[in-house]
Order: sequence, then C-alpha cells, then structure tokens
Amino acid sequence: MTTTPRRLAAVGTAAVIAAAGLSACSSSSGSGSKDGFTYWSMWTAQEPQGQAIKKLFDQYTAETGVKVDVQFLGRDVNTRIVPAITANKAPDLWDQGSDVIYGSAASTGQALDLTPVLSMQVPGEGKTVGEIIPAKYNQALPKDSNGVQNWVIPYIVSSAEFFYNAADPDIKAAMPTPPATWADFIKVCDALKAKSKPCLASEGEDDWTNGLIFDYRLNAAGVNFADLTNDKTGAAWDNPAVLKAAQETDQLIAGHYVVPGYDATKTPAQETAWASGKDAFFMNGSWVTSETGKEVASTWKYGAMLPPGVTAPDSMTFGFTIPKKAKHADAAEKFIAWFVQQKNMAALASTADTLTTRTDVPAPADLTDVQKALDSSAVRLTFDGQSGDDVYTKVFAQNFLDFWHGKLAPEQFVAKVKATQVSYWKSQS
Amino acid sequence: MAALSTAFPRARRARGEASRAKTNSRSPLERQHRRMFWPFAAPAVIFYTVIFLVPIGYAAWTSFYKWDGVSDKKWRGWKNYQVLFDDPAFRSSLTNTLKILFVGGACTFVIAFGLTMALREMRARLFARSVIFFPCLVNAMVFGILAGFLFSPDGPVNQVLHDVGVSTPPKWLSTDNQFPMILGTIIWTATGYYTAIIMAGVDQIPTYLYEAAELDGCNAFQRFRHVTLPLAWEVISVCAVLWTVSSLQIFELILAFGGTQNSAAPPVNSWNTAMYVYETAFPPRSTPQLGMATAAAMVALVLIGFITLVLRRVMRRAAIEY
Repeated sequence: MTTTPRRLAAVGTAAVIAAAGLSACSSSSGSGSKDGFTYWSMWTAQEPQGQAIKKLFDQYTAETGVKVDVQFLGRDVNTRIVPAITANKAPDLWDQGSDVIYGSAASTGQALDLTPVLSMQVPGEGKTVGEIIPAKYNQALPKDSNGVQNWVIPYIVSSAEFFYNAADPDIKAAMPTPPATWADFIKVCDALKAKSKPCLASEGEDDWTNGLIFDYRLNAAGVNFADLTNDKTGAAWDNPAVLKAAQETDQLIAGHYVVPGYDATKTPAQETAWASGKDAFFMNGSWVTSETGKEVASTWKYGAMLPPGVTAPDSMTFGFTIPKKAKHADAAEKFIAWFVQQKNMAALASTADTLTTRTDVPAPADLTDVQKALDSSAVRLTFDGQSGDDVYTKVFAQNFLDFWHGKLAPEQFVAKVKATQVSYWKSQS
Repeated sequence: MAALSTAFPRARRARGEASRAKTNSRSPLERQHRRMFWPFAAPAVIFYTVIFLVPIGYAAWTSFYKWDGVSDKKWRGWKNYQVLFDDPAFRSSLTNTLKILFVGGACTFVIAFGLTMALREMRARLFARSVIFFPCLVNAMVFGILAGFLFSPDGPVNQVLHDVGVSTPPKWLSTDNQFPMILGTIIWTATGYYTAIIMAGVDQIPTYLYEAAELDGCNAFQRFRHVTLPLAWEVISVCAVLWTVSSLQIFELILAFGGTQNSAAPPVNSWNTAMYVYETAFPPRSTPQLGMATAAAMVALVLIGFITLVLRRVMRRAAIEY
C-alpha cells in the first residue's frame, strides 16, 4: 500500500528526524476557515480515488458552503502526520490505511474517538453512520492505547485473495468448481501444469504478497500469525499446525507450480505477465484489478477466491481519522457523516474501481467475488495485524523469502524463524 | 581569555595589556584583518551552529530516550545503543555501510584512476568525460526501475550473454544478489563523478612534467604513479573524504532496488544504516521509534566522523608546488 516513489519523497523528512529531531517537519497550517476544516489525503490528485474524492469535496462545499482546505499528499501523509501532531499543526481530517493510522497515531492515543460519529445521521437516509458501516471492520482492528475501538471510519475496503481470469479456458477446465481443500487446489495446479500453464504468479522479491499464502495456510490451520510472532519463547513455532502450513506452502514451490524465474525478476514484471495470461492465479490485494485493468485482454473476467480452508477473509480498510488535537473536529465529523452517503460511495466505487464499506453499494464488476467473500460475518487483518511491524520485517520477511525461493525446507524455515524470533525478542527485552 | 584577547585587540588595548609591543608589531593590514574576523565569521558560525550543531546535539539527546514522536519521552540511557548492537538487522546494516565505504570506495577509485590515465591521453577527452559523468545525473529511482528491465531473466543483459555463449547467466535480481547489484550501481554512478573531479586536478599539472617523464622512458602507469598521483594528491584526498561522507547518505537506491509496492520494506539484508534509520523512524505500519532511529544515526555519524579523521591524517602530505 506504500509506494516506493512516495516513500522516497519522505527521505528529507527522515534525514531531519535523524539529525534534527522534529524541528522542521511540519509543513502546513492546521487552521481551517471559520466554518471549514483542513484535510490531508493519502491519495494523490491523479489517482482515481483522489479524483473521486476531490469531486466530493467540491460538491460538499457547494452544498453546505463549508470550505475545505484539501491537500493531496499521497502515501507520504503518514510520515508528515506525526511531526504535524507534535507541532500542533495537524489537519482536522486525514485518511490512510487503518494499519498505517494505527501505527502513526492511534497506537499513541493521538486519534480522536469517533464513536459519536457512528451515531450521526447520514443526510437523507434516515440511518446513522454506525448502521451503514459494518462494525466488523473496526472490530478486527486493535484498540488504541486508550482502549478506543473506533479511531477510524473506514470507507474503502480491500481483501487479499487468489485472483484469476475466470474466462480463461485453461482455468475453467482445470477448476470447474472452486477447490474445497488445499489438496484440491494442488490438483487444480497439476491440471494447469499439464497444460504448461504455471499455476501461480509471484513477484518473488515481495515478502508481503507471497507471505499472504503462508498467512492464509496458518489461518486455515487455526494459527494466529500475530500470536505466533509475538511469542518471545518461540515455542509457538513448535505447533505441528505451523509446520503443516509451511509444508502446504512448500508444495507450491517444490511442485514447481510457481512461474519459472519468479525469484529473479522485479516488480511489476510478474504482475504484468499474469495480466497477459501467462499464468493462472495471483495472490494480491484487490487493488490488483485497478492496477492491471488497462493491461488485460478485453475477454478477461476477473475472478477471486480465498485459499481453501480459510476461516475468514482478510480485510484492509482505508478510512478517515481525526487527530485528537484537531481544531475543527466538529466540522470534520459532520463531513464524514455526509461523505458516507450511498450516492457518494457509489461514485467513489465506480470512479476508482474499488470496494466501499457500504454493503448496499454494488461492487464494480471486477470485484464481485471479493465483495461476496467480505460479506462474511467476520473479517481478519492480513497477518493478523502484524504486517509492517518490526518483528515481521526483521524476523519473518527475510527468512520467508529464503523459504519461498526454495533455499529452506519447511522444517528449516520453521526452525530458523523460531531461532531468529527468540534472539529478536531477547534483544528487545 | 587568551583567545578573547587575541580576537579583540581593541578591548585589549583599552585594558592596556602588556602585549602592546607585540600588537604594534603587526602590520596595519593584519590588524584590520583581525578586527574584521568576527564580524564576517559570526554569521556563518551562528548559521552552522543553529542548522547543524544544535540538531545534532538534539539528536544525541533524543537517542537516550524511548520516544514515538508524540508522547512524552521516556529515559532509556544507553539501552537504545545496547539494543542496537544486539539487533542483527543493525549489525548487517552497519556491515553493508562499511562495504559501501571500503569495497565501493576501492573499486570506484581504482576505476577512476584507470579512466584518468586513459582520458588524459586520449582524443575527444572532454566528450568522453561528459559520457562517463552522465550516470551521476540520473536519479537513483531510474536505476531501480531500469534494473527490472535490463537484468530480468530474458532481459537485454542476459540476451547478450546468451549471444556470447553464457548459457546460465546469474540471477541478477535475486534477493541474494540485491546488495551486490546496489553496490555495483553505486560504483558505476560514482566513478564518473570522481573521475571528473580528479581530472580537473590533473588538468592543472603542467604538461612539461609529463613530457619529461616520457623522455625518461616512463610508460603510462609510471607517469600516473610518479607524476599524476603525487601532484593530484590533494584533490584525491578531498575526493576520499567526499566519498566517505556521501557513502553514509546512500538511501534511495536501496529503497528503489528493494522496495515493492506492497512490501513493508526492502529485504533487511540489503539495508545500510541510513535505511535502518528510515525504517525505524518511519515504519509503515507500526509506531515510530525515534530514540532508536537517532541512536542508529549517531552511531553512523560517529563512525564516519572517525573514519574521515583517520583518512585525513593518513592522506596528509606536504603540498607540492608546481
């Protein structure tokens, strides 16, 4: 979710933090006009999401007369928000992935409790915000440092699944019905292999998308990734279910079901190859449809399925949050209640080819399968919320890539992560 | 006080100090220079102090705390440094920084010297200099993106290798090769830059010295060894310090090579200390650890400061006038 160019743009800020503390990081005024407020966006003005949101802000000002100072900062917003909060120059409203909001603001108690927003009426709908945004999305998130659950109001939701071209005759022949078990899925891979079609696309350098397969195998085996990696003794890795998940993941590598050369290419080479129909399944977030939409053939029909045996789809929400130090929090709250109207969310879904958190807004055609999966009563976070944390980066990611590249057998992988994890937690104690 | 007296001769005169005779022995121009020293130097000193020294001091102070950037700081003393050196990720980052500094530096300067020898004596050397300087102008992001195209299994590089009979070329873009590829790119981009600077120094060397060396029967290497190297030593010494300092700052290339759209960070085994600082200060999805980040930055600063001092000392030579 964090793109390299945008992260690069934060280099200057990082240098200042490292050498100069926080002396010069804030960059914008946090003051809004008398009745207005300021908004920092995680989208860029060029992105479809940014374009859709810009229109909605303009419309809001036209309808209500409330002026909004909008800044489209892109993903860089998360590196700027902490210094801005520290300098008391935070915007009144900002948005980001919920995981990023948690890391940069909620985990330190700097996000406003938005529970009152859930009770606000959505204009013209006779319902409250809490009645139209499913509570399961926030329930999957950790509470902030003050025990607050509703520090974000999510408006976009993504999920990671196996994506494929449902119109591909090879896939249709190999998979007349979705596989019910992992063994069935391997049979599908075998059938595709017989037709010289690699079963799985993979950006080999990417621990996150590839790691999701292992994460889902753990989930299917009843293991929580966060509990596993937070175990300071490392004993959780001795659970036979963990080894089973590793062995199932290894079937894809040892069986040569992953596209050849995946371990020596660079993103987005394999995504592009997948979009041209060279291989069948691609584990990724549901933004992959908008990323590849212009590359696929006109006959392409996006399908998506959860790996067999998974108990709950993962969800990645993107939403609004209000800094505790916001000067015009009331105005920002009113805007959120206005924003989540059905017509607005429908416009966002269609312009940006994305899923919104409203169940009554139809999914774009590319994402109907994903919406069906997300209709389940409960959702979980990718890597059970651990992705991007220090222990994920320093303990799991590198070892997993060695495993994914066939350099470690499942038993070796489990033993190595366990040992690395024990020494990591020891150093942190 | 002695320094103060020297710095302010007018005040000293007012106090009627005994060094009057010595002061009077200075020329009027020298006295004028001394009087004007602080009015001219003070703005720069103040600027440097405010922009550099105070932030470094603040960073050093922060490195003793646990701090997320928002909440109150919690005193940790030397614990941050202890955790840092217990952290395998930091140790490997430090190793990579030193690899860039020494291995990258050695390769860069050996190639730069080779190019200097060749360029000094070739025709159209100004054009050649521009060509080898060109990679220095290209943003690191471009290399990150280009690498994916050039070095992919069926990319142009491997096609050329196939054409010359290499049937199993290396997996250039595998994670194991990531850091060597980064190092290679650094060397490639830096070589032209340092060659240009060294060549500027070499251009100042009178040609009769080379002619004399040739008459004495020196070959190209001997001319480099006995004429170019000693007479361009001051420039080379400055280049070595420049390289030392700039090697610490390399960051975007590592991010561009290893970062992916979804990945939390480039693989840890490709990090250097700058990358470690960035990932610790701005983790994408977890709480910033600014105390740890500044501790890592301080370690890198002290290390590079020490190496720079040693380098200056080792490379010190009496100036040769020509």
